[in-house]
Amino acid sequence: MKKIVKAAVVCAAVVSVCFAGCRKQTKTNGDTSLSDLKSRGVFVLGLDDSFPPLGFRNENNEIVGYDIDLAKEVAKRLGAEFKAQPIDWDAKEMELNTGKIDCIWNGFTITKEREEALAFTKPYLNNEQVLVVRNDSGIKSLADMSGKVVGLQSGSSAQEAVNGNAGFAGSIKNQILFKDNVTALNDLEIRGVDGVVMDSVVADYSIAATKKPFSVIDEPLSKEEYGVAFRKGDIALRDEVQKILEEMQKDGTAAAVSIKWFGRDISVIGK
Amino acid sequence: MLQGSVTSLEVFFLTLVFAVPLALPVAAGRMTKNKILSAVTKIFLLIIRGTPLMLQLLVVYFGPGLLCIWINKQFGTDIRLTWPRFLAANVALIINYAAYFAEIYRGGIESVPQGQYEAAKVLGYTKNQTFFYIILPQVVKRIIPAMGNEVITLVKDTALVQIIGVSELLRVAQETQSRLFSFMPLFVAGVFYFVMNWAVEAIFVRIEKRLAYYK
Repeated sequence: MKKIVKAAVVCAAVVSVCFAGCRKQTKTNGDTSLSDLKSRGVFVLGLDDSFPPLGFRNENNEIVGYDIDLAKEVAKRLGAEFKAQPIDWDAKEMELNTGKIDCIWNGFTITKEREEALAFTKPYLNNEQVLVVRNDSGIKSLADMSGKVVGLQSGSSAQEAVNGNAGFAGSIKNQILFKDNVTALNDLEIRGVDGVVMDSVVADYSIAATKKPFSVIDEPLSKEEYGVAFRKGDIALRDEVQKILEEMQKDGTAAAVSIKWFGRDISVIGK
Repeated sequence: MLQGSVTSLEVFFLTLVFAVPLALPVAAGRMTKNKILSAVTKIFLLIIRGTPLMLQLLVVYFGPGLLCIWINKQFGTDIRLTWPRFLAANVALIINYAAYFAEIYRGGIESVPQGQYEAAKVLGYTKNQTFFYIILPQVVKRIIPAMGNEVITLVKDTALVQIIGVSELLRVAQETQSRLFSFMPLFVAGVFYFVMNWAVEAIFVRIEKRLAYYK
């Protein structure tokens, strides 16, 4: 028994040292975030690389997308090298807080909870959470999903959209959580789930690109805005990126990127 | 997170309960003198032990459905086939663990010296009697440490079933973590796995002691 107590004390000590260490680090980081980044010379963007057309892999396995094009330009104007770092979407906050990435920039929805823990830029793109169903399912509205199974990406704002819509959340049978939207859509295809709730931007692009027999229900669950998220303390860096984005909006760079990926200018930077 | 731990435990026990007996015929198939049967078993073991368990989970769950879609496209039929993800997760784990257990059993059976079979024959034991009264009790004793190893791995492998949407403990912990912006849920999950394996180890130590009656 004594041995166990001893082991527990040692464990507790190690853990508390770890936590204390982490806390100290975030404090000293403070507002040197911008100069730190410039001296490091690399702007590391964390993303789920299966999120077309915002950030995904093309045929050559390169990470491309709307967010990536914007971020590359931002990195250039920051005078830093650009690096896209694929991460597990559930671990995104940990990646950011431990300094493995500088920002989360990947169709990242601004929510109240996230704003409390992270420093967001102003919105740069509008989005809706929509329901995707199989064409042959006969589901025409959100009400038709009563008693059915909904799939969605774990740790995504789709989860909040479903839980925030009490009527919808109460009517469905249950929610199945997936690592990414691609797996969720695969499951929809083999009839594992009856509908998938996801970002309209991604849904429209995926259906057009894969030509799978899916359709989007014309009844959004919620309206959202995308922003770029930085560590809570990295205000200087956040403000600099916001400034660059607004410059890009003015000189037409942002519009060009939007036309490239969406066919029209849907950017809302500075609006 | 409680619901998640229950799911993890269910996957664990179901896999154990079915894989332990299922491995016996697999081991027998591997050791049989029938060349075709032994070749088939060898290929089965090669595939199961040679591919990632995560991939096997995906194939077992998505495979039948994708096959249906392909057949429907090819022949214009309308076959619909999906099975519950929880069942698919268990089936994949049972097949995988039966393969590993089978090889452990084989090691145990082959470690019994040939002389014992000869002695049993001289004493007039039939083949079945020899196996069940003389060989098997020794095999059980010898494979306990190796089995303990595998069972501990199984506890941790239950975390893989989240890939097909089963909300087991680690998935729930990750989700809670991303909702609360806290590392604590992962830490709690880690403690759960650890305590679970502690229990497994304690049980195996007891079994080993119980079976050490000739030492």
